[in-house]
Amino acid sequence: MLLLRNCALALLFATFGGVATAADDDSATPEEAITKVWSAARFLQDKGVSGFAALNSKDGPWVWKDSYVFAFDCRLDRMVAHPMRPDLVGRPIMQITDNNGKYIFKELCKAGSQRAGGWVEYMWTRPGAGAVSRKLSYTMTAEIAFSTGIRVAAGVYNDTYSIAELTELTAKMADPEKYPAH
Amino acid sequence: MAEQKLGNPAVVGLAGFGLTTMVLQFHNVGWMGIGPVIWLGLVFGGLAQMIAGLQEMKTGNNFGYCAFTAYGCFWIALALILIGNHFNIYVSSKTDIGWFLVVWTLFTAILWVGSMRISGALALTFTLLLIGFVLLDLAHFGYPGLTVVAGYELMLCALSAWYIMAHLIFADVFGRDVLPVGKAWI
Repeated sequence: MLLLRNCALALLFATFGGVATAADDDSATPEEAITKVWSAARFLQDKGVSGFAALNSKDGPWVWKDSYVFAFDCRLDRMVAHPMRPDLVGRPIMQITDNNGKYIFKELCKAGSQRAGGWVEYMWTRPGAGAVSRKLSYTMTAEIAFSTGIRVAAGVYNDTYSIAELTELTAKMADPEKYPAH
Repeated sequence: MAEQKLGNPAVVGLAGFGLTTMVLQFHNVGWMGIGPVIWLGLVFGGLAQMIAGLQEMKTGNNFGYCAFTAYGCFWIALALILIGNHFNIYVSSKTDIGWFLVVWTLFTAILWVGSMRISGALALTFTLLLIGFVLLDLAHFGYPGLTVVAGYELMLCALSAWYIMAHLIFADVFGRDVLPVGKAWI
């Protein structure tokens, strides 16, 4: 189904000469990651902890192209939803480092505590790929009653984007009026 | 025939109120998960406090009758809301729970006035409880950081409820008032 939709999208872009390059059709874009994180935060605010089940599902709207939304609890130090790595769900996260020794979730928790959320760069396995790639994830707090440490995040696999560039993009999307198109 | 001595239901009511309030704050400041809060909320803060409240009727204490029964129901309702949210039954959003807390804030404000006519310690407990509810209301309507502030504030509320409990129990076992509760504020 996903493949079919991607094919249809590819066809669409090929026909109308979409902005995205052909090679990028299967890669999540930063815009998509931001939108997904915002929707997931809103979703959890409405659904409370019952929403975690949907975030843990591979078939829901929270998994798309080569990316997915995951959720974790920075206060209780544990993963609460990860559609690709069910083995991590319920486990501590603060000790997880990438190949460069970066404490991924410490950084994500710090970035996500900012009001507008934030971006973090680290190395992670792209779904379906064997080796690790550079991943930039956007994260923000999901407000759930009586659970103050919950963050949601989603990322893009890319070698060129900078954190500054993505932060600016996020600010633009959050408040388009402040940043006119021309 | 000597009259049979009766216990004061308030000691159980205050115990359940204080202990369950305390454990929820341990959760709110991030020291522990929600599990024990739910079960204690159902059994001690809920069932035991509610029964204590219903027993207050026979003592002729309308304040205790209303307060303990109502806060017992509060804990049972809160635990069921959280259980419902886990199992996707009548899910309450953060805003829904915010409004749930707002009605309890209004209710507490009424009892707070009454508490000031009873004793200094009870007036303090209800003042702290009312402030705690207001902080939790704000935490659910745009200021999530206040949950932690409410957590520490309500720990003081739980301690002052326990103080009154200790006052009653110690007065009984020592035969004199070792922990005075102070004059009424109004």
